[in-house]
Amino acid sequence: MRITFFRYFFRQAVANILRNRLVHLVGVGTMAIAFLIFNAFVLIFVNLNHWTEEQGRSLSMSIYFKEEPERVVLENIKKELLHFPGVTIKRFISKDDAMESIKGQLGDKAGLLDGLKVNPLPASLEIILSRDKNGDSSPYQLKTMLERIDSVDEVQYSQEWIERFQAIMEAIKLIGIIFGGLLFLAALFIITNTIKLTIYSRKDEIEILKLVGATNRFVKTPFLIEGSIQGFLGGSVAIIILFLSYITVITRLDLRVGFTSLDIVFLSPQFILLLLIMSIITGFIGSTISLGRFFRI
Amino acid sequence: MIQLFHVYKSFGSKNPALIDVSLTAKKGEFVFITGPSGAGKSTLLKIIFCAEKPTSGHALVDGRNLNRIKDRDLALLRRKIGVIFQDFKLLPRRNVFENVALVLEIMGFPLSMIRKKVHQALRYLDLANKEGYYPPQLSGGEQQRVAIARAIINNPLILLADEPTGNLDPGLTMEIMALLREIHSRGTTVIVATHSRELLKDTRRRIVTLNKGRIV
Repeated sequence: MRITFFRYFFRQAVANILRNRLVHLVGVGTMAIAFLIFNAFVLIFVNLNHWTEEQGRSLSMSIYFKEEPERVVLENIKKELLHFPGVTIKRFISKDDAMESIKGQLGDKAGLLDGLKVNPLPASLEIILSRDKNGDSSPYQLKTMLERIDSVDEVQYSQEWIERFQAIMEAIKLIGIIFGGLLFLAALFIITNTIKLTIYSRKDEIEILKLVGATNRFVKTPFLIEGSIQGFLGGSVAIIILFLSYITVITRLDLRVGFTSLDIVFLSPQFILLLLIMSIITGFIGSTISLGRFFRI
Repeated sequence: MIQLFHVYKSFGSKNPALIDVSLTAKKGEFVFITGPSGAGKSTLLKIIFCAEKPTSGHALVDGRNLNRIKDRDLALLRRKIGVIFQDFKLLPRRNVFENVALVLEIMGFPLSMIRKKVHQALRYLDLANKEGYYPPQLSGGEQQRVAIARAIINNPLILLADEPTGNLDPGLTMEIMALLREIHSRGTTVIVATHSRELLKDTRRRIVTLNKGRIV
């Protein structure tokens, strides 16, 4: 296609959008809703996937002490731990810190704990065992070693839970791909029908263009560009709404799963670009499908 | 230039619009198609510019068999045929300039050439001061002239006019007819469908009369 012709078609497409503002506005709105549902699903899916991968790479371990450990004892244990490959010390939680944390969680009912004469909660040390640094790091070995220390009462780690969760995630991945595909098809169906409305509102124009000698390509191209622009605008609006929802709602939620909190991250710039390209392609495909039936004049 | 052989056209179970119509119009000829309303005049013109295909029979225009013409060739053929539609068929959301320029844009003319040709045509049809107006802002006569400007802008081989004076007063009717005669004098084949007897009075042009779909 010659550059001048493309420029002409692009100008024509923009002019058509401006001439039919209301119809296009409805189209972009409908597309935005369809893309928003799809993008929200992608955001959830990407985060769950990312989170399981992270969890698979490292696991949290809690070392519970019989009594509040003396500073020297604690420092010795920390030193021992750091000899172990892939270990990162996260934090020490004293008996008082643990009590404060429980009180915080109980909120109004924290007064129930006032009757306790002795703090029954153990002090603990939270560590993270990272596996990608050294494949030989066995949480079981570490647990056995730590439990031999006199002051240590018990060691717990999230391995079993993670393994179960990973199996669930495999299933979720499969369901996600199927559900995501269906959601995409639903979005495409909605978009195709929306574009069909846009085209239907201009069927007289199509007829006149054809009667005065326009080729199918001449008539179709501006519609395809319009569909792509609509897709781009709908996709952009959907991403903006999703981002605003993310910063106003999701970042304020404290989601905890098992031992760790679930930090929801927004889609990466590459992912956003991919979704925008997909929106443009969806608009283009929607226009192509919708135009089919209008070319029997 | 135009040859119809035993053309039939029917729309569903209704009475046929055209029955065994055979007609030839030579290059540069001026032909009136006349007859009462519902005689099949508009259908005949639609067959010629291929808005409708014959149910049976053959239609040849500029050597092309319209029964077998491909989409792209049809578009190219239509560029050689200017049509003045009874209902004008102007694009309501494009102004006068844009409506007239449409045919040249389709043909891929450069913008400077389009501007020149459209201004020329609008001056010729006394519409120079209306180029920014939209069809709904124009009178019936003005819309008719815009439709004529669009039909003749690329000097077509054939000009088809479906009731071109149907909505006009006698003064304007004469003006439009004079315009069609002038276009014809440049060598264009002109076919005018009309039910107006006034228009045919004293004419020396060939007249084809249709009645209930048949040439009489």
